[in-house]
Amino acid sequence: MMVRDWLLRARALLSPRRAERDLNDELSFHLDRETQKLIEQGRSPEDARAMAQARFGSTTVAADECRDQRGTATVDNTIRDLTYAVRTIARAPLASFTIVATVGLGLGLVTVLFSVLNIFLFRVDHVPDINEMFAVERPRDANDEWQQFTRPQFDAMMRETSVFAGMYMELGDVDSRVDGRMMAITLLGGNAFQVLGVRAAMGRTLLASDDDRSAPQPVVVLSDKGWERRFGRDPNVVGRQIIVNGAPHEVVGVMPASFRGLNVGAPDLWAPLSSLAEFRPIHRGREDQAGIAIVGRLKPGLSAAAARAQLDAWDAQRSGATTRRDARIVLTPRRGTVPQPLEAMVLFAPLFFAFGLILMIGCANVANLLLARGVSRQREIGIRLSLGASRPRIVRQLLTESLLLALAAAAVGFVVSRVAIEGTLAAVLPTIPPDLGDISIMGFKADWRVGVFLIAGALVSTIFFALMPALHATRIDPVRTMRGELIKDAKPGRARTVLISLQVAASALLLICSAVFLRSALASATVDPGMRTADTVIVEIVNEPKRAAMIQSLASDPRIAMMAATWPDLLSLPRAAIVETPALKTTAAYKMVGPEYFAVLDIPIVRGRTFADHERAAPVVVLSETMARTLFPKSDAIGQVMQMEADPDSPTRRDDEPMLSSRSFTVVGISRDVAGFRITDTNDPGIFVPASTETPKTSVIVRVNGDPELARQHLLERLTIIDPNMGQILTMRTMARMERYFLNLAFWTTLVLGTLALTLTVSGLFSVLSYLVEQRTREIGVRMALGATSRHVTRLVLSQTAKPVGFGLFAGTGLAFALAILLIATPTAGVIGEVVHVTDPLAYAASIILIVAVCLLAAAVPAMRASRLDPMTTLRQE
Amino acid sequence: MTNTKTKNRNELLPGTLEMLILKTLSIEPMHGYGIAQHIQLLSAQVLTIEEGSLYPALQRMLIKGWVLAEWKISANHRRARFYKLTTAGKNQLGVQESRFSQMSGAIMRVMKTT
Repeated sequence: MMVRDWLLRARALLSPRRAERDLNDELSFHLDRETQKLIEQGRSPEDARAMAQARFGSTTVAADECRDQRGTATVDNTIRDLTYAVRTIARAPLASFTIVATVGLGLGLVTVLFSVLNIFLFRVDHVPDINEMFAVERPRDANDEWQQFTRPQFDAMMRETSVFAGMYMELGDVDSRVDGRMMAITLLGGNAFQVLGVRAAMGRTLLASDDDRSAPQPVVVLSDKGWERRFGRDPNVVGRQIIVNGAPHEVVGVMPASFRGLNVGAPDLWAPLSSLAEFRPIHRGREDQAGIAIVGRLKPGLSAAAARAQLDAWDAQRSGATTRRDARIVLTPRRGTVPQPLEAMVLFAPLFFAFGLILMIGCANVANLLLARGVSRQREIGIRLSLGASRPRIVRQLLTESLLLALAAAAVGFVVSRVAIEGTLAAVLPTIPPDLGDISIMGFKADWRVGVFLIAGALVSTIFFALMPALHATRIDPVRTMRGELIKDAKPGRARTVLISLQVAASALLLICSAVFLRSALASATVDPGMRTADTVIVEIVNEPKRAAMIQSLASDPRIAMMAATWPDLLSLPRAAIVETPALKTTAAYKMVGPEYFAVLDIPIVRGRTFADHERAAPVVVLSETMARTLFPKSDAIGQVMQMEADPDSPTRRDDEPMLSSRSFTVVGISRDVAGFRITDTNDPGIFVPASTETPKTSVIVRVNGDPELARQHLLERLTIIDPNMGQILTMRTMARMERYFLNLAFWTTLVLGTLALTLTVSGLFSVLSYLVEQRTREIGVRMALGATSRHVTRLVLSQTAKPVGFGLFAGTGLAFALAILLIATPTAGVIGEVVHVTDPLAYAASIILIVAVCLLAAAVPAMRASRLDPMTTLRQE
Repeated sequence: MTNTKTKNRNELLPGTLEMLILKTLSIEPMHGYGIAQHIQLLSAQVLTIEEGSLYPALQRMLIKGWVLAEWKISANHRRARFYKLTTAGKNQLGVQESRFSQMSGAIMRVMKTT
């Protein structure tokens, strides 16, 4: 039965003409017979025909119902709707273009975000049975730091547990100089590629034999990214020698782009773990103590929970029953995506919200346009209704039309998103300060998920912008429409008011956000960091055995005017100490600096003196003005003695940090407060303890002659000869720029979005209002004929706008304020609050005034036009 | 508008039309016009089905597999579509008949108890 059922439908679908002919023949046969019978009963042929027809009812309806029964109606109707839609769209190209452009822009913006999120959440690495891959981890400890495993632990786990079919060691984020250029390197156990089951695109992967310290020649495998960045996709790269940290390595293979080593972003190259000491000299001779990550492939059929339980039991047994139970083992899926997808989603939510608002404003505009068109299409819709089309049928037809436009908009959205992504990358990459190291941003390539997202977006937007106008347009009385009357209740007054309010609210929200960012960016641009940034450079020294040679080289360099030791360097968080004075006991941040520090950075000593040359290890301190006031509120700080020791519970504490030379310190000088940089969190610590460039762990800050960027390049060349692994060299100028860089980025993004929202709102309001006035031309004419002045008319039109705009403004401002309060309540408020003043009244006021002004303008023009109408001409028009 | 039209047209109880068609076709294969005439005649003009609604019903039954359709030459030498009951149609007729007699019996009992 089912088969026949489908056969019939298929036949009707495949040969619609034949099915139609059958139907026609059958119905006309019936009518003919009835007519004939009536003629035989003595009626005239005309009468008989009419009576037969009357008895039969509507042939069209019967035929339609037969078609419905056939079940091909849906397809038939869709095809018919589509043809009709194409014709309607072609007939109104301007309106169609506006709709496609508006919705396409909104969809494009949302798609930009999705493309980015797509990479983080869904772009799974191309590894066979990737769902079996897990990282073995321990939960973060109290200081929020990852506890890592070591090589002996890995060996023991491999020996004593059996949950993995294969497991390997990994040590990521080893940044090194490859042929003089910083590249990201991940070190892997020799069996890693075998466990993963991936093959090289060119050459070979790493083998177990490579992971041997006695191997004749160290080797590396390039990622697709590294191949492109360093070798420009040279097809003959396999077999070439590269210099990694001063030692020659052979490139043995290139991995395909689809393999990123189970990371969101691939490193530039992979090297065997046996070369650890060359990449990280700090581990030389202590390779077994280096923290490594363990990645394993679960045995088939073993659940992650069961594996975790086994590993847990093993761990507990190994560490003895006395250990805390909370240091357990966690299995995290490693699939080349973000391990905490929820966190990423939360991070992206505000952006999605902002971009979604733009899309919503666009949809509201289009809805307005369609409402207006619905009124002008009343006659057409009325005719179709009176010809027997049902209302759902017409609504469907209108929706098909809108969906077609939305799909076109999705295509436009795709182009917009590509242009926006590529354009932003092209604009941002060159502006990233160069000495930050090589920042490579992966391309956010689109895949099928982006396509699905766009189509889903098109569907949702169609419902947003088309459903309500379609319902409105069909709520008419066909008879009156035929007479040419426009029905008053088809003029969707309330719907339109809601739309205008929504638009204004969304624009207010976006504008306020961008205004807040604007003000913050301006404020931070004008703040003086309080130290010399024009020609100062920070030199990190990471390799203690090479320290003396590097300092020597710096000291003898003619480009260097002055140098001073500093720990921690300006990029690191200040360290905490417990300070005790006769007045109080408190925790304060301190810093170890050379005597020249204040001179290099131009920080004035307001009272007392800086450290003397012989005081590099003496128990003396310099305080900042604020710190001096805090610690010695009643008396002069100079000459006072204070107790100080490093805070053992400080979260930033490291075991290898330099020790304080003493417990009690005498205050010798007071320095001017330093505002510092805000984002990079280099606030002046307030307590300065003497140090020298020989003090281990200290960095060096130098003042150079001439252009700092040239000096940086020069230093980089000289120092990498001494230590190929050397750390960063950063100019302070870059840091000062960085300070503004991210705020500027955020500011420009919001400004563009805000402008876009404002433009959309203005154009939307403008068209709606002028349309409304046009609709009321006759009424206005009557009013003016009855004695209304143009002022009355203007007031009438304006008052019509005031309510929805006022309401929207109120809602938008309220929402922005609520968001600000919400933001202040979150734990990140401390960081954000220092930079961005989320409840900046000036920003709010400016945004509100701007929106009011724009709305006034949008309403005023049609109002003026209305008041200038000549009542007689208007009335005669009808 | 269209809805009210459809409502008024079908004065028969829902489902009855199909039963009447099935019953009619159980006598012999017939074309649509014949079915309409037959029902009117036998019911002594009481059941005047609006003839237009006959064809959607036939189409429905065709798809359900209760009847088969075939183009043949009718008594007055014209091409007509003849409908024939299938086995499934016969079974369906039995089901509908028993359901109908149950229903009408129930209605009768209610009407008599006063």
